[in-house]
Amino acid sequence: MHNTFSIHEGGACSMVIILDGSGRRILRSGASEDGAVNGSLDFDRVVLRKDARINLVYIIMPETRADVDLAVELDGEGAEALVSGIYLCRGEDRVQIDMDIRHNVPHCISRQLFKGLAGGSARVGFYGKITVAQDAQKTEAYQENHSIILSDAAKVDTKPQLEIYADDVKCSHGATVGRLDEEEQFYMRSRGIPEDEAKVLQMLSFLSPVLDNVDDPDIREEISAAVDSAVRNL
Amino acid sequence: MEMNEILLEIKGLKAGIEGKEILKGVDLTIRKGEIHAIMGPNGAGKSTLSAVLAGRENFRVTEGSVTFLGQDLLKMSPEERSWAGIFLSFQYPVEIPGVSITNFMKTAVNAHRKAKGLDALKAGDFLRLMKEKMAFVQMKPEFSKREVNVGFSGGEKKRNEIFQMAMLGPVLSILDETDSGLDVDALRIVAHGVNALHTSEKSVIVITHYQRLLDYIVPDVVHVLKDGRIVRTAGRELVAQIESDGYDSI
Repeated sequence: MHNTFSIHEGGACSMVIILDGSGRRILRSGASEDGAVNGSLDFDRVVLRKDARINLVYIIMPETRADVDLAVELDGEGAEALVSGIYLCRGEDRVQIDMDIRHNVPHCISRQLFKGLAGGSARVGFYGKITVAQDAQKTEAYQENHSIILSDAAKVDTKPQLEIYADDVKCSHGATVGRLDEEEQFYMRSRGIPEDEAKVLQMLSFLSPVLDNVDDPDIREEISAAVDSAVRNL
Repeated sequence: MEMNEILLEIKGLKAGIEGKEILKGVDLTIRKGEIHAIMGPNGAGKSTLSAVLAGRENFRVTEGSVTFLGQDLLKMSPEERSWAGIFLSFQYPVEIPGVSITNFMKTAVNAHRKAKGLDALKAGDFLRLMKEKMAFVQMKPEFSKREVNVGFSGGEKKRNEIFQMAMLGPVLSILDETDSGLDVDALRIVAHGVNALHTSEKSVIVITHYQRLLDYIVPDVVHVLKDGRIVRTAGRELVAQIESDGYDSI
């Protein structure tokens, strides 16, 4: 059984979903109007009608065992889904992200961007599925998942899966798991930036494309401050 | 001639990478106010010397000593060397995606101030300083918003190096093949910047394969580095000899 959240024709909604030690909370912003949406905020399924738009940003803070399971149904032409997130993991953190994006009709766009840091002996799993139905022509579907590993014991598994049954689509996916670049660190240190601070700059710049997706400036500032201090303690 | 205070003293320096010895006993003394050129053919160890002086960790020093203003340089981290007044202009400046020049320099300048026990610069004062130093190397104001070296031309990268040098005010600047990849206009801007920053209290090491840059930054002393050793030290007239007769004549 799914908890469904629907956005009606022409409606729009932006949400930041924060998962931390104290649970799950949602900060809402953007153009959501009364009557344009309905459903539980405890959703694990989003349905977008014609020309509906959603912008979801997940922020997974340290010391969290997170299991994000989301299905997005693009059910009306012109619908657009932007789903992004960051995960900041350390110690024994376990994060599992399962995305199931379904392009059921033509002319819809979906973009996924998940980026994160894994230290300690954290485990991160990303499973991203995109399904494009046979008559969902002119679909655009993009998925990116990039992780930086901060310790030898941390582990990230990323598994994209594309099932495309239409022939006139633009789809792409990219996944990388890497480490902080030591050349960049040496360059910064040679300018007097201490090693720890150089790493913080690298981590924040790596995460910033996701934070840029938070469209409300006040919420973005609040989230950025929390992420900044969490990154310094990874 | 009266001798100025010694800034940098290298004695019997041997260093290498991955078990291969590249510097095979380098001796070099640099006094305040002097401009030294270190010339040499490819593979002589020029870049290894600059890397060792800046503290690049993958190079191993096996013998010898380096003293900077009386301190054991080889015991210092790269950031400590920067705070002490050493600046390396990279042959290949590193791109740092996502980090703006403003943020990069603010972090660097304030780290230098912290090391000196000073408070961070006020935002307004910092921006004024940036503006002044950017004009100095003819960088447009919008440069400050760009990501460090990302998508920069060769000339822009080297001007950015000299801009950073102007911001940090080092005592010893090491220019590693700063002329590589520069057209003559960029070369002039870079050389003008270096010359304008030069004082009787500061020193410069110009590492280069060619004469070109030394037409603009005129050295007091010229060294030839060959196969990991300084094989010849002379005045600036040595540059012309190398240019006409090549390194084989040395």
